[in-house]
Amino acid sequence: MALPKRQTDIGPPKYDQFIPPVIKKNYGKWKYHEVLSGGTMVHVAESGDALYTVRAASPRILSTETIREICDLAEKYCDGYLRFTTRNNVEFLVSDKSKMDPLLKELQERKFSVGGIGPRISNIVHTQGWVHCHSACTDASGLVKAIMDEVYDYFTTKELPNKVRLAVACCVNMCGAVHCSDIAVVAVHRKVPTIKHELVTKVCEIPTTIASCPTSAIRPNPKDKSVTINEEKCMYCGNCFTVCPPIDIHKPEEDGVAIVVGGKIGSLRTSPKFSKLAIPFFYNEPPRWPKVVAAIKNILDVYAKNAKKHERVGEWIERVGWEEFFNLTGIEFTFQHIDDFTFARDTFRTSAAFKYSR
Amino acid sequence: METAELQDKIFAYMEKMKGKKKLKEKDVIKALAEETSEAPDTVKKALRGMIDVGRLMYSYGGGASSVEIPSEEYLREKGLIK
Amino acid sequence: MSGKYKTPMLDELEKGPWPSFVTEIKKAAKKSSMADDELGQLEKSYVTKRGYWKHGGIVGVLGYGGGVIGRYSSLPDEFPGIAHFHTVRINQTSGFFYTAKALKEICDIWDKYGSGLTNMHGSTGDLVLLGTKTESLEAIFAEYSSRGWDLGSSGSAMRTPSCCVGPGRCEWSNIDTLDITYNLTQEFQDEMHRPSFPYKFKIKTAGCAVDCVAAIARADLSIIGTWKGNIQIDQAEVKKYAGAGMNIQAEIIEMCPTSCMSYNNGEIKIDDAQCSRCMHCIAKMTKALRSGKEKGATLLVGSKAPIVVGSLLSWVIVPFIKVEAPYTELKTLIRSMIEWWDDTAKPRERIGEVLEIKGLRPFLEHIGVPPQPQQVKEPRKDPFFFWAESDFKR
Ligand code: HEM
Ligand code: HEM
Ligand code: HEM
Ligand code: SF4
Ligand code: SF4
Ligand code: SF4
Ligand code: SF4
Repeated sequence: MALPKRQTDIGPPKYDQFIPPVIKKNYGKWKYHEVLSGGTMVHVAESGDALYTVRAASPRILSTETIREICDLAEKYCDGYLRFTTRNNVEFLVSDKSKMDPLLKELQERKFSVGGIGPRISNIVHTQGWVHCHSACTDASGLVKAIMDEVYDYFTTKELPNKVRLAVACCVNMCGAVHCSDIAVVAVHRKVPTIKHELVTKVCEIPTTIASCPTSAIRPNPKDKSVTINEEKCMYCGNCFTVCPPIDIHKPEEDGVAIVVGGKIGSLRTSPKFSKLAIPFFYNEPPRWPKVVAAIKNILDVYAKNAKKHERVGEWIERVGWEEFFNLTGIEFTFQHIDDFTFARDTFRTSAAFKYSR
Repeated sequence: METAELQDKIFAYMEKMKGKKKLKEKDVIKALAEETSEAPDTVKKALRGMIDVGRLMYSYGGGASSVEIPSEEYLREKGLIK
Repeated sequence: MSGKYKTPMLDELEKGPWPSFVTEIKKAAKKSSMADDELGQLEKSYVTKRGYWKHGGIVGVLGYGGGVIGRYSSLPDEFPGIAHFHTVRINQTSGFFYTAKALKEICDIWDKYGSGLTNMHGSTGDLVLLGTKTESLEAIFAEYSSRGWDLGSSGSAMRTPSCCVGPGRCEWSNIDTLDITYNLTQEFQDEMHRPSFPYKFKIKTAGCAVDCVAAIARADLSIIGTWKGNIQIDQAEVKKYAGAGMNIQAEIIEMCPTSCMSYNNGEIKIDDAQCSRCMHCIAKMTKALRSGKEKGATLLVGSKAPIVVGSLLSWVIVPFIKVEAPYTELKTLIRSMIEWWDDTAKPRERIGEVLEIKGLRPFLEHIGVPPQPQQVKEPRKDPFFFWAESDFKR
């Protein structure tokens, strides 16, 4: 069968083909919005027109079968108009208010989870993991599923002091930018990589490999036409593996995940912040990572109990102090918590005023 | 210089460098602009022409993209040789 | 063809209320032996706690150097269906808007050539089609591009720009994020598809400082909408918020980071010269407060994930710029920024890393932006600093 003729450099279709008439008419002229429930909101334009949104969860990995099911719903209730959010939720764009209740009812019957709007937990930003990446030292999708099952009520109905943004990265490449999340899981290696010298000779550029190491731990090894790694300097980042795959960073029995907290993206009230280390390590415990899930639930509960209204996790921690964060959560403070990387000295305390450990 | 001649020069350079160094598009343009005194944009156009028909190809490795002479396997997959 | 594998570990992840990715893979596996083998290999990963994907492979469509990511199982004999399992990245629409008709067409083509699995969306922004064979790539490209969909990007190239929903639905948007993103995506098609940069370059656009696309944390160029002029106050709506039980003093006035607001006799006053435009008060009292009338954007440069020398957030480079169609000034400025980076960076250095090494000065001089206090949190502490010849001219 003959293929259609390819075109190059056409880019994506223009967005205006895909926006419903109510948006076309009121484009850029929205007046306000109201959150109606954990998963619904209405945007009202200066003209008085209203656009209703129903937000539903997705596991990000979607089969074409489920996408078609979503499309059928959009055709039935929204004249076919829908969008996705940055955090991988599906949004049904409803122009006719009377269709809201029937849509919500059908979503419930079909076991869709409606939520993620307002001071709650939205979907977890994550990356490929064992599902599709060579670099992964955990599975992102499995962790996401296990965590969201546990905090499900905070997605659908229950409120928190402010939004809590969760993320999972399946290695330190952090393709999904977890480094500014309220609470994030990042998978880490803990052992110096092993080198398959014969293969290094064959497939790697030695100078590039040496240059790839952020801590200058890699030296030439002329004897084996390969490289050596200075074990005292290596921080197991895996960048050498990226550049030269025969340097194997994977050690399944010693790989696992860390939890970082207190990051934020928006500039509201305080500047955007990086997430910082809360718990340095958990072993991978597939399929449901119970200890990781429990630790996140604990941090979430302590935050919900102690933060002021509108405070994000990082703002709350900075108000009470990190030493108090460790007090309140009962998380053990270890050598790993003390920075010894690029900007370490900026993190050491330079004041005699602090709170005691209890 | 005729485009075809420039392209032959590019190809000769690629053959010379094969296995020695991974070349980025910019490296090739710079080297040939120097060798032939053609404008970098002219070299770039000629290079792109070669990539469009599979005489050269983009590759990826060592964490960065580069330009290479295609393998037979690639050419076969693209239906450019039998 | 499905059900070839027993998956007791993964079956655990079909329990519970959250939608399950395992269910999705199983749905695809009913029709595709590729998806079924993906399921089998994933179960094995859950048992052994390691992935089985090989690192590498050069695949793509003729003429392009990006948009397809080669992926091969390291256990091709055990899982032949995923011996090849490449990712195809498709340029997403601005704001991720679709119609059911368009999405179904995308699904139909994908079912014909691929595993039936997708990511809606990848973290770059692209619509991700997960798992196909090398010999299908040209056909996939012909089918999609003839229907108006182009490939996204990978490798040392511009990534598909991405943005928040902006004026499509958000009253806080100061700029036309959707149109800017569409225009930039078209402008940089060549840079997206033919990798000629030192490394990747991402552009993300948010309509305001709430930053729903995380532009400030994961884009080499973060475009964030803002305003000049006074915040517009509707005092009648302020009274309604108070009437509805909002503690305006505690929740708004005392949380304003610049202490530039006051609340007396039921009215809010703002000392706008002191406002840092953080969005807190507007976000909490959307009916009563609207941003100032002169709209524009702040341009920030440099953010990236921690590989290799630590994560960076973007730095303010241009405090305020008007961004209006056809965006000529913005496009020229972006080209100038990229030119500097392209000439200065070693392979695999992101622009933020180069700025850290070289300092802001050469960059600012190249793009023609003067030094301004808005670019720093504070001036330097030490008395060591460079002087250039040009600084001595009076
Ligand atoms: C010598 C071999 C390889 C090296 C040194 C290498 C290195 C890298 C680096 C540095 C990146 C980040 C660069 C970027 O995203 O632009 C990257 C990305 C990637 N690599 Fe590799 N790689 C190699 C082989 C492979 C192989 C064999 C595969 C797949 C089977 C692969 C799949 C990917 C993918 C999917 C990305 C993401 C690209 C993107 O973000 O657009 N790589 N690789
Ligand atoms: C240097 C090392 C890196 C390597 C080897 C690498 C490799 C990869 C690979 C293999 C994938 C999976 C693609 C697939 O199979 O579908 C991927 C995805 C991706 N990478 Fe990277 N990456 C690297 C660094 C980064 C960095 C530093 C960033 C961001 C700043 C990044 C951004 C992304 C994004 C956004 C995706 C899509 C993820 C998703 O949607 O699941 N990568 N990368
Ligand atoms: C070339 C650079 C510098 C020189 C030559 C220098 C020289 C001096 C000298 C001679 C003193 C007086 C010591 C005394 O009490 O007899 C002093 C004191 C001091 N310097 Fe520096 N200094 C330099 C840089 C700095 C920098 C960069 C800092 C801080 C960031 C600094 C902070 C101080 C402080 C805090 C004192 C003590 C002042 C006090 O006693 O009240 N100096 N320095
Ligand atoms: S974070 Fe690491 S393991 Fe996960 S997709 Fe990115 S490179 Fe792969
Ligand atoms: S893992 Fe990272 S720190 Fe260790 S040798 Fe490799 S590149 Fe260097
Ligand atoms: S970034 Fe601002 S303008 Fe864009 S969707 Fe979020 S709140 Fe609205
Ligand atoms: S935008 Fe922020 S700084 Fe400005 S008045 Fe509102 S709360 Fe204060």
